[in-house]
Amino acid sequence: MAQIIKATASDGSTVEFYDEVKAQGGMKDVYFSLSKQYVVAFYRKPLKELKASEKDRLQNIVGVYREKIFDKDPHGAYWKNLFAWPEKIVEWDGKIGLVVPFYDSKFFFSGGPFDKQEKNGKWFASAKLRNKFLPDDQKGTWLTHIHVCIKIARAMRRLHAAGLAHSDLSYNNVLIDPISGNACIIDDDGLVVPGKYPPDVVGTPDFIAPEVMTTRNLSIDDPKRKLPSRLTDLHALAVLIYMYLLYRHPLRGGKVWDLDPTKDEELLMGEKALFIEHPTDKTNRVKINDLEKSQLPEGDPSKLPYTICGPYLKPLFDRAFIDGLHNPSARPTAQEWEDALVKTTDLVQPCQNSNCKAHWFVFDNTTKPKCPFCGKEYKGQLPVLNFYYAPSHGRFMSENYRLMVYDKQTLYMWHVNRNIGANEKTSAEDKKPAGDFHFHNGQWILINRRIPDMYEILADGNKKQISVGGFVPLTEGRKILLSAKDGGRLVIVQLVNN
Amino acid sequence: MRRLPVYILIDTSGSMQGEPIEAVKVGLADMVAALRQDPYALETVCISIITYDNEVKQILPLTPLEDLQLPEITTPESGATNTGAALKMLCDKYDSEVNRGSSEQKGDWMPLLFVMTDGKPSDIMDYKNIVPVVKSHAFTNIVACAAGPKAKTEHLKQLTDNVVSLDTMDSKTFRKFFQWVSLQVIGGGKSIGTTSSIELPKPPAEVNIVI
Repeated sequence: MAQIIKATASDGSTVEFYDEVKAQGGMKDVYFSLSKQYVVAFYRKPLKELKASEKDRLQNIVGVYREKIFDKDPHGAYWKNLFAWPEKIVEWDGKIGLVVPFYDSKFFFSGGPFDKQEKNGKWFASAKLRNKFLPDDQKGTWLTHIHVCIKIARAMRRLHAAGLAHSDLSYNNVLIDPISGNACIIDDDGLVVPGKYPPDVVGTPDFIAPEVMTTRNLSIDDPKRKLPSRLTDLHALAVLIYMYLLYRHPLRGGKVWDLDPTKDEELLMGEKALFIEHPTDKTNRVKINDLEKSQLPEGDPSKLPYTICGPYLKPLFDRAFIDGLHNPSARPTAQEWEDALVKTTDLVQPCQNSNCKAHWFVFDNTTKPKCPFCGKEYKGQLPVLNFYYAPSHGRFMSENYRLMVYDKQTLYMWHVNRNIGANEKTSAEDKKPAGDFHFHNGQWILINRRIPDMYEILADGNKKQISVGGFVPLTEGRKILLSAKDGGRLVIVQLVNN
Repeated sequence: MRRLPVYILIDTSGSMQGEPIEAVKVGLADMVAALRQDPYALETVCISIITYDNEVKQILPLTPLEDLQLPEITTPESGATNTGAALKMLCDKYDSEVNRGSSEQKGDWMPLLFVMTDGKPSDIMDYKNIVPVVKSHAFTNIVACAAGPKAKTEHLKQLTDNVVSLDTMDSKTFRKFFQWVSLQVIGGGKSIGTTSSIELPKPPAEVNIVI
């Protein structure tokens, strides 16, 4: 058994850990604490070689920045689930270390070939790894992958709101659990504060922004040199979301830019970076002959184009990989990704093929919906609720926002009222179901569970209350005012019949 | 998809008999098991093993990590250490197994090469002649390992600047060495520093890097 080390942390508390390296990262060695509540990650670089600014940064990460997000923010408890944030600094053996909470057990494989390993995000972002190695019971569904992406986008939104940049967002630095749809950002010690602490890393291959890759060989002091920032985080975030939803890399196409693989890599991620699904420039299309069998069908964009992610995500991918690929300021923000992902969850439909591995797909706005993953066509009636809001009294405008209905689906307060969001601020009360949908006796109905002022708007313009516990059938053209309160939405029902 | 070929050359001359070769086998098995737990390695790594004594054998042709079964490694009672001939076979295998790509199709990553010996080349002329040929092949990295007290580093230094020397040849030392090798193999998927490359983890304490 390894020796036990006792050290005093920056806040005066005692830190106890085993003198045995349990894991190694790019710059740090990780030791386990006795309590298993936390780990201690020591920088291999000796303390005396650390610049004053580097030490200062670590002190701020465990100090003011941590307090800002976790203590002073009323939703601090929520953020603790999304970050494994360093809590204190400890010095030992001439080295500086960070005390970091131990990751939740859902972020470790349990049983199977990878028992007790961390759920590194890469497992879930590659078609080959998914199709060949990952046990089916670990894969979650396509919907839980959207949930994972929401958590990552939300965490990045919070970091950026605090004026910080992660600087090395990648699947190595995000643990994900597709079974429950959760994610946790780890290795938060490389944070960049614009103008104050420069980054020490340019990022991880696959996630380095083109402008950083292109200027990588310039001197660090060269004004043209681009370093990681909030805008490069936004490139990495877009790549992560694309990979978690489509299981391939958006820039790894068939084009050979250089015969030397290292130079080719630099060009394809840098100067020459080109979206494999660019609508007009077909130079970098995936060549099917380059793919291994295990990469199919997901590796083939002609079979599963990015448009299957639906009408809210498509324009964001366009901005990230077409307009903003070489123009960082055009990239979508973390908030935009979060909003689009949340809205996309309202467009998903369960696949009627019980063997479909994706289980869910986004309604494609056509009259003949079909699961893109397994090809199964939807049979039967499909209600679509179109949302309207009233910017002024009695005048309703389309929100370009739809809710797809499926059996036993829940209506939530963020559907009912436009002023309620689905995010960390959602109150416990608002998380309770407001209603639910059923296919009952051959027709679709909505049962009102707790909205005191839900009305059907009749053809003559009069209102008829839908009482709590009562129901309203969902038929073509029917108008339902979900709530008469300020922000309450009006629904117009559309029915797809197949 | 680009593969990452990893060539491992193992000295099986008579002096490796007994504990040393058993320790190498354990170390290799551990390394393969560890790499199979790593998503980056599973996606890209292919391994080939060449053993050399009087005879040179490619006991494992370049094989994807997931399909790999470690073959039996045997050592003769006594005999020479034909390192030169082993490097010759390496170059031949490189030419036939590694996909160098074309302007139309992506090839493999540049291979990694690990050469382990507990002595010195017996075919010294062949060795001298083949070193420039090895160097004319593109490798991401060449690591030479001089194992045990009788291993000579001077010849290895002609091949590469990365010479690692192991003081002993017991299973603990080899296990740590192969753990370190695994980290070199999966290093390609890790964060890259802003100034230079981020320092890789140090080799284990029992290993000395010869500069």
